[in-house]
Amino acid sequence: MRGPTLLVTLLITALINGCGSSDINSEPFQQSQLLALGTLVDVSLWDVDTAQANQAIHDIDTQLHDLHHNWHSWLPGRLHDINAALAKGQAIEINDVELKLLQQAQQLAESSQHLFNPAIGQLIDLWGFHSDTPEGPPPASAAIQKLLLLQPRMSNLSFDDHTLSSNNTAVQLDMGAFAKGYAVDQAIELLKQRGINNAIVNAGGDLRAIGQRGERPWRIGIRHPKQPGIIAALETQGDESVFTSGNYERFFEYNGQRYHHIIDPRSGHPGSEALAVTVIHNNAAIADAAATALLIAGPKNWHNIAQQMGIHEAMLIDNELTAHLTRAMAQRIQLQHNINTVIEEPS
Amino acid sequence: MIRTKILTSADIIVICAALVLLPWLYSHFWGDGSQGETARIQVADQTPMIIPLQHSQRYTFDGPLGSSIIEVQDGRIRFVESPCRNQLCVHSGWLQNDAEFAACLPNLISITIAGRNPRFDSINF
Amino acid sequence: MTQPPPLRLHSTPDDRRIAALAALAIAIHVLETALPSPLPGVKPGLANVITLVVLLQYGWRDAVWVSLLRVFAGSLLIGSFLTPTFALSLAGACASLAVLGLAWRLNPLIPGQGLGAVGFSILAALAHMGGQLIIARLLIIPHDGLFHLLPVLMTAAVLFGIVSGIISQSILIHIRQE
Repeated sequence: MRGPTLLVTLLITALINGCGSSDINSEPFQQSQLLALGTLVDVSLWDVDTAQANQAIHDIDTQLHDLHHNWHSWLPGRLHDINAALAKGQAIEINDVELKLLQQAQQLAESSQHLFNPAIGQLIDLWGFHSDTPEGPPPASAAIQKLLLLQPRMSNLSFDDHTLSSNNTAVQLDMGAFAKGYAVDQAIELLKQRGINNAIVNAGGDLRAIGQRGERPWRIGIRHPKQPGIIAALETQGDESVFTSGNYERFFEYNGQRYHHIIDPRSGHPGSEALAVTVIHNNAAIADAAATALLIAGPKNWHNIAQQMGIHEAMLIDNELTAHLTRAMAQRIQLQHNINTVIEEPS
Repeated sequence: MIRTKILTSADIIVICAALVLLPWLYSHFWGDGSQGETARIQVADQTPMIIPLQHSQRYTFDGPLGSSIIEVQDGRIRFVESPCRNQLCVHSGWLQNDAEFAACLPNLISITIAGRNPRFDSINF
Repeated sequence: MTQPPPLRLHSTPDDRRIAALAALAIAIHVLETALPSPLPGVKPGLANVITLVVLLQYGWRDAVWVSLLRVFAGSLLIGSFLTPTFALSLAGACASLAVLGLAWRLNPLIPGQGLGAVGFSILAALAHMGGQLIIARLLIIPHDGLFHLLPVLMTAAVLFGIVSGIISQSILIHIRQE
């Protein structure tokens, strides 16, 4: 090929490539990053006017910061005040939002046979997880037993109109297993109210997706619990949350042993029967709570708990990297590697 | 030396070698779409950086805990060092295929690989 | 004041032969640039035929002369001397001559009849394209994305190589029968 013709070919190719990538302003896909809830939050929007999108993102940011402040597990804030009152055996007035959230948490705790138990704040604190940098050593058995005997539960709470009280001073609320889901729900509600119907809100890996990406559904990849690649893929339909609890999220290592933050309220120790659980459900708060409860339940009992909580699509990865799937989940999801699979039959 | 053949047997070998070389060139330079081409690095709430994986280079990013060092080499990327306690990010090792992901959440830095045709819109972890 | 004696350049028959062949190659080169091409980059590459015929009939040294004369003189005639186009042409020519030289040396070692024009032509065409791409990367488009074109361009090079080779071989057969 002659020099000039090569040159022309190169220039034309460069032009074609240049035309291929669309002008940023007319690109219907927009992704924004927020720092909130102590983690990276990604909001993806499809086909939204830039000004409207920016306003929505800004407002979500404010909303998330308020939630994070109010429901923070250990820093001063609303939850802190509530816990202080309950510890003294005092009743406390709560607002509509707090009432709704606590009642939902109470229902979820019941249906999970208290495997999801936000009342065990003291136990979580004992393990050192009321800190940004949890360290060992693990607490003494005696201290754990003492707290277990007190049996703090969500069922200890009663609501008299807007007055909250507890018949167990050991109850200390920690919304860590639930708050992220709740926050994602709030963000999605805000978007819907603004007429934005195609979006994904992803808070530190847990997400809720509404609508679709233009002509095709949103495609979600679920990360392998132990490798950087994807273990499963799915397409969302309509309005769905995908939440994963793992034993790798927050933990400390002590003497070669790993202790993670999802404490089994029955034993007082971190749940050890599973590596990760992924739940699909419309409501992010329910998905969040369920993912926690099912991780604690482990491969033997998880399917029962899932059914009781109204969860139809869930996957549990056990310690041998076998994937346990509900039948509905098996139909939804595409497992990527050579993973051993077990499909749970409804009992 | 009068030859009347257009092609010698050595010519045919060259043609065959060329016919083997060409498909290899296509798969090497065009890939099958699953090979990672760029990495999206998110630091806190800053606009993500898109880094091509063809240029070997080291990058330093500062998060709330300190500096994380990220290395790109031969089409792969990884966390080399990070100030977090658990070092999950560093233990993730090399990332090179589309949708592979590693994050140092305490330091608010994440890496997501994108191939030519990214398979996913969002990663759940 | 006496005039200096007229300069006499002595030319050997070799020189004349090379000049004639170079002139032919240059003429083809120049004419080719006037040809409309169906697609950018799809040019017959006919001047390569001359190089190959010279290589196989008269040896590598003559082929080098003819080829480089064609590049330099051709670019002067077209007006592209010392432009990036010229750099591409020169790089391509040098790369293909280098490969042809190597192949020419190694050819006697190949059992049987060794390579014919087609074999040489394909090697030359690949080297030619490779040389052009390297210069293009260094001087014209300093971006590795350029190599994305490599598979397509090399495919074209192989095709041109085969076609030029067949034409060259046909010419050689014809010449040698006379």
